[in-house]
Amino acid sequence: MAKDSTGQDILELRSMPVETMESILATAKEMKNIVLRDIKKLPTLRGRSIINLFFEPSTRTRTSFELAGKYLGADVVNITTSASSVVKGESLRDTLLTVEAMGVDVIVMRHSAEGAAHFAAKAVQPIIVNAGDGAHEHPTQGLLDMFTIREKKGTIAGQKIVIIGDITHSRVARSDIWGLKKLGADVHLCGPATLMPRDIGELGVTVHARVEEALEGADVVNVLRIQKERQQKGLFPSAREYARIFGVNDARLKLAKPDVLILHPGPMNRGLEIAFDVAYSEQSVIQEQVTNGVAVRMSILFQALMGGKKIEAVD
Amino acid sequence: MKLLIKGGRIINPALNMDIAGDILITDGCIAEIGQKIDGAGAEIFDATGYIVAPGLVDMHVHLREPGLEAKEDIYSGTRAAAAGGFTTIACMPNTKPVVDSSIAVSGIIQRAQNEGVVRVRAIGALSKGQEGKELAEIGDMVAAGAVALSDDGHYVSSARLFQAGLLYANMFDKVVISHAEEESLVEDGHMHEGAISAMLGMRSRPAVAEDIAVMRDVMLAEYTGARLHIAHVSSANAVEFIRQAKKRGVKVTAEATPHHLTLTDEAVIGFDTATKVNPPLRSADHVQALIQGLNDGTIDAIATDHAPHAAEEKDMEYIYAPSGFAGLETSVGVILTSLYHTGQCTLPQILEKMTIGPARILGGEAGVLQPGAAADITLIDPDREWVVDETTFYTKGKKTPFSGQKLKGKAVAVFVAGELIMKNGEVLK
Repeated sequence: MAKDSTGQDILELRSMPVETMESILATAKEMKNIVLRDIKKLPTLRGRSIINLFFEPSTRTRTSFELAGKYLGADVVNITTSASSVVKGESLRDTLLTVEAMGVDVIVMRHSAEGAAHFAAKAVQPIIVNAGDGAHEHPTQGLLDMFTIREKKGTIAGQKIVIIGDITHSRVARSDIWGLKKLGADVHLCGPATLMPRDIGELGVTVHARVEEALEGADVVNVLRIQKERQQKGLFPSAREYARIFGVNDARLKLAKPDVLILHPGPMNRGLEIAFDVAYSEQSVIQEQVTNGVAVRMSILFQALMGGKKIEAVD
Repeated sequence: MKLLIKGGRIINPALNMDIAGDILITDGCIAEIGQKIDGAGAEIFDATGYIVAPGLVDMHVHLREPGLEAKEDIYSGTRAAAAGGFTTIACMPNTKPVVDSSIAVSGIIQRAQNEGVVRVRAIGALSKGQEGKELAEIGDMVAAGAVALSDDGHYVSSARLFQAGLLYANMFDKVVISHAEEESLVEDGHMHEGAISAMLGMRSRPAVAEDIAVMRDVMLAEYTGARLHIAHVSSANAVEFIRQAKKRGVKVTAEATPHHLTLTDEAVIGFDTATKVNPPLRSADHVQALIQGLNDGTIDAIATDHAPHAAEEKDMEYIYAPSGFAGLETSVGVILTSLYHTGQCTLPQILEKMTIGPARILGGEAGVLQPGAAADITLIDPDREWVVDETTFYTKGKKTPFSGQKLKGKAVAVFVAGELIMKNGEVLK
């Protein structure tokens, strides 16, 4: 089904044009000013409705989208279910059609299946914003990481950016890889071989087995959350060993540039993938990522609904 | 009753025949093949511009009956076969219930005689319920007409049981067909492991899982001296293992599917469930290895692994959709477009793999044009251009990764025992 001519789905950064990314990042700057002021409400999306359709539990992303929508004046409804549509007994298409029939303009969807957002975009007319689909992509997280890096470093081009952790199961890593590479970053990955896709190097990134080697001269380090359930599946022997071999701590960070930036998509396992001191150091921008997340999602909702228009023009 | 198929290019790989000529059919059997036959009194079928080939044989089809008739049944499946140019198909036993008894085999054969429009040969399960624990009653099934044994859909993880199956089936000179994938390596995987799966974040099925399984099965075939057939080969190493085994004299044969011979895992980008299949679509190096295997004789047969599913089963998230899609009605077009018209294979090579190749593996009479044989004949227009429109398919499970593609080459007529059952894609019975 063809989409409305002004709206656009936000499904992945791999295929997103650089101009669209730049437009989202530029508008997010304006949006951040709004997030930080006392009265945040704008009438920009007044009369528009957004449904946060979350098939996986998520406080951070869902709340971020909810506030983003509300700050822009849209009506926002949350539907959260921990079970997949299949387990529930209703097909994903039927769920989407039901939501569509309620007249929503945007469906922000989180789902455990890779490609679920693509499926949704083909199934229904409302604009689909991918809030994470399995281990595929998390484009809004990728954009907020890019926004944060550019805000702090001035540029993304030429930066050595290291992503450490469970790359195999990380949608954040994939969105970061595409987004950052498109804007000229030098992207490096590091993690246990059991959590690193065999052919990920073909995406144009450098893969390191040793964290020290990866951190050497790094401008930015993005530490990924380690899910302890992977240990039960035999992908690494113990949290203790992971922390010892791959944990980002002060000593290891000395290998990076002095002004290295520390990112983490949250929530953190302090003492596992990231040391307490690092998480709360001056180099850490983890809390600012959360603020930036709201600004970027405001920008994305604006971009999705209003196409290429400028925020000033609407206000 | 006499029929003269006149003026075609007769390609008869079993006898190394490639001539311009006529075929005279009398009472359902081939009476004469020659460059110019006097067909006085015969009805004439003008085959000018067409390839006249032995009726195509597909040794790997899922008819889904009994139990899964919503996906396919013998009525619809045999009509799909006819529409695609096939006169003989062999159906796999992973139905509900599993075809693991003589009564089930008899049931398929009986139903096919009543409902079918092409010849159907039944493959029995190797183990009871395809559970890989106890041998099924192979002797009884063979007596009832089973032409081969297979736990297709499942790898027989017990080497001991697989060895027993080879030995036991060999007593009846029947081939064991292996679905070769080491299951502990593919658990929960949805596509080929490679750069594309890394990109999409999808759990994957590495080629090495097939390599290991093929190697084990080939070693057991060598050890037992029994006949082994590897279904839907998809990996480069598997091709090489089979090649080496054949050189050593191991009684191993292999098939490849049109989709594994022509598509790569790049088709999965976009998450269309029509591209989900088991074994998965692999990368270009594997595809090239399969084509090489086809050309040097390592691969003996092209088989569709026609695996239809109901529309609603495929209409969901990629990881939840079942593997498999319709293959019977696109097979000729896909193979000719990708292998013949690109110059990678000749028509006699391709037709060998689609007629006498699989027929020899299954045993019995099929795949050859010769006086006295049943007049099972397929006419192919190698230059006919057409666009795949699954809404016109006879199969119930209409998903295909070739949807909308323009193909060159099509089966235009099918005779079974001298009776015209398909013309220009339309099944006449």
